[in-house]
Amino acid sequence: MDQFLQQLVNGLSIGSVYALMAVGYSLVYSIMNFSNFAHGSVIMLGAYFGFFSLTLLGVPFSVAFFVAALGAAVIAVLLERLAYKPLRDRRAPFLYFIITAMGASIFIDNSVIATIGPTPKTFPSDLLPGFFQGDPFEFGALTIGRVDIAMFVVAAICLALLVFFIDFTKLGKAIQATAYNIKAAALMGINPNFIIILVFAIGGGLAGAAGILYGMKYQVFPQMSAITLKSFIAAVFGGLGSLSGALLGSLLLALIETFISGYLSTQYRDLFAFGILIAMLVVRPSGIMGKNIEDKA
Amino acid sequence: MATLAIGASAQAPTVKIGWFGPATGDSALWGQAELNTVKLMAEQYNAKGGITVGGKKYLVEIVGYDDKGDSVEAVNVAKRLISQDKVVAIVGAQGSGEAIPVATIVNGAKVPLVASTATNPKVTVQDSGAVNQFMFRACFTDPYQGKTAAYYAFQKLGKRKAGIVMTIDDPYSTGLSDFFKQNFEKAGGKVVVEVSYTSGEKDFRAPLTKLKAANPDLVFIPAYYNDVALIAKQARELGIKQILLGGDGWPSENLISLAGKSLEGCMFINHLDMDGAQSKPIRDAYKAKYNKNAELNSYMVHDALWMVVDAMQRAKSIDPIAIQKALTTCDIQGVTGHIKIGPQHDPVGKDAWIIQIVGPKMKFKEKFAAKD
Repeated sequence: MDQFLQQLVNGLSIGSVYALMAVGYSLVYSIMNFSNFAHGSVIMLGAYFGFFSLTLLGVPFSVAFFVAALGAAVIAVLLERLAYKPLRDRRAPFLYFIITAMGASIFIDNSVIATIGPTPKTFPSDLLPGFFQGDPFEFGALTIGRVDIAMFVVAAICLALLVFFIDFTKLGKAIQATAYNIKAAALMGINPNFIIILVFAIGGGLAGAAGILYGMKYQVFPQMSAITLKSFIAAVFGGLGSLSGALLGSLLLALIETFISGYLSTQYRDLFAFGILIAMLVVRPSGIMGKNIEDKA
Repeated sequence: MATLAIGASAQAPTVKIGWFGPATGDSALWGQAELNTVKLMAEQYNAKGGITVGGKKYLVEIVGYDDKGDSVEAVNVAKRLISQDKVVAIVGAQGSGEAIPVATIVNGAKVPLVASTATNPKVTVQDSGAVNQFMFRACFTDPYQGKTAAYYAFQKLGKRKAGIVMTIDDPYSTGLSDFFKQNFEKAGGKVVVEVSYTSGEKDFRAPLTKLKAANPDLVFIPAYYNDVALIAKQARELGIKQILLGGDGWPSENLISLAGKSLEGCMFINHLDMDGAQSKPIRDAYKAKYNKNAELNSYMVHDALWMVVDAMQRAKSIDPIAIQKALTTCDIQGVTGHIKIGPQHDPVGKDAWIIQIVGPKMKFKEKFAAKD
């Protein structure tokens, strides 16, 4: 029973990281109908922004967190302006967007390897707020890491804010309208360019938050973007384009992974996790919560 | 290196010794450290007028080629060293993946090779059990390393229930786990839990939670330093307080900064004490010449070249076959420990160096040789 509860906590903690990352994929997909594979690199840069503002500039952690989110948001918007907008202007096929995204991702990752180096970096614990420095919380045999709690809380707050923003504000409605039909929304006086920038900024900000938290939990390294692929899969699992789907997909994927490696073997983890994913997509091609059955990947 | 030979050819003849290894690519750091070290040693020998073999002075010339960490390239450069450069012996071949295919070449050409850090058993012994007559090595093997770790855990640390965390897709890690398990159980202990992960993994909590439930009193982690750091952190976070033990994948300048306090008191098996007195001459000379810290490979290739020079001097000949014969009776005190070549062309009973992590330092704890 102890082991079961501990694995549940492990799964939820991994799931909350996946969720923060998956939302960025889903947001962009809902508006632009393509999978922004450079999102992982934005997450990675966010982690580096946070790391360097903390270690080199010596700013307090709250500021570093903000720098990571803001920096990643700026990078995401730049990516849109420099890489995707020229394609949009030329009405390029979606395949070009995906290839451009992959190219941008490879470019960003390798720039980091060439300038900062491939060696992983660890957040020095003495520069983190006191909350993170203590021992993990213990409840009997169950332990919960401090970063895990922070990740869960931050993920919950960010996602709640996002849902509130999308559902209850005028701008949020504009995003929804654009996602529903970009041309019709434009006819109604919504500026699609502005909405796209906004979506990239929000996705980037969440990516930055996810990046710095991921870096604190594990390490900061250039190949981080490859690991974020799991969160993309979670987004597909939950239904690309749906926020609640991204959340649900992330938690489910992480729990399935954790329980399989905990009770069966790590060797079978990906086999089972992706087997379930494929089965799921055969039965429900649009994912758990996806509404759109049109193929846009 | 040609200039060295030309400048001195008036006084003494030259003996050519080959080196190959990865001077570029992922393992370039270690390859370059080796080439730098053998060049440095040749300079030191030649500064004294060369080495004395059978009453005659010879200058040492190193012919070094880059194998790019690639097995095909390794075979090509080994052939070139033998047929074109006519070297009398070869040192280097640090990776088992490069050393194994080269064995056929050196056996055929009858030129001895002393590998620096190729720890896989197949480097010197073929699948059939036949010994590769012209292959030798300066390092201990993975089976020996696994045995040392197991016996150390059982005899010295008094542990009886071990857990293992291994990289399932890395032969080094799975091999070392197997050798540890066999010997730990042979000694009378029991491996109560084995968990694994795939390379590139960053979250180990699921397998570690499983490991914790089995409650071992020691955890053996045959992995590379970066994984070790993350595993140690996450294990401590899950309340796994047991001592962690590892192998020669652990030593790295980055290990402790990545792992923080989570490895305090933990130990690993290494080929030598890199801060010790016996390694000081090379460490200082290397630092003085290259303004860089010597790597583990510097010391390993130092002993490999020393084995060759010692064999030439005892054979009183620079003939490759005579050198091979002398190498089979090699018995020297190298900087990495006592090297006595056994029937399988491996150092027999070579001391393993137990290194313990104390605060921000890796401290030499004791030498340990596994004995039945």
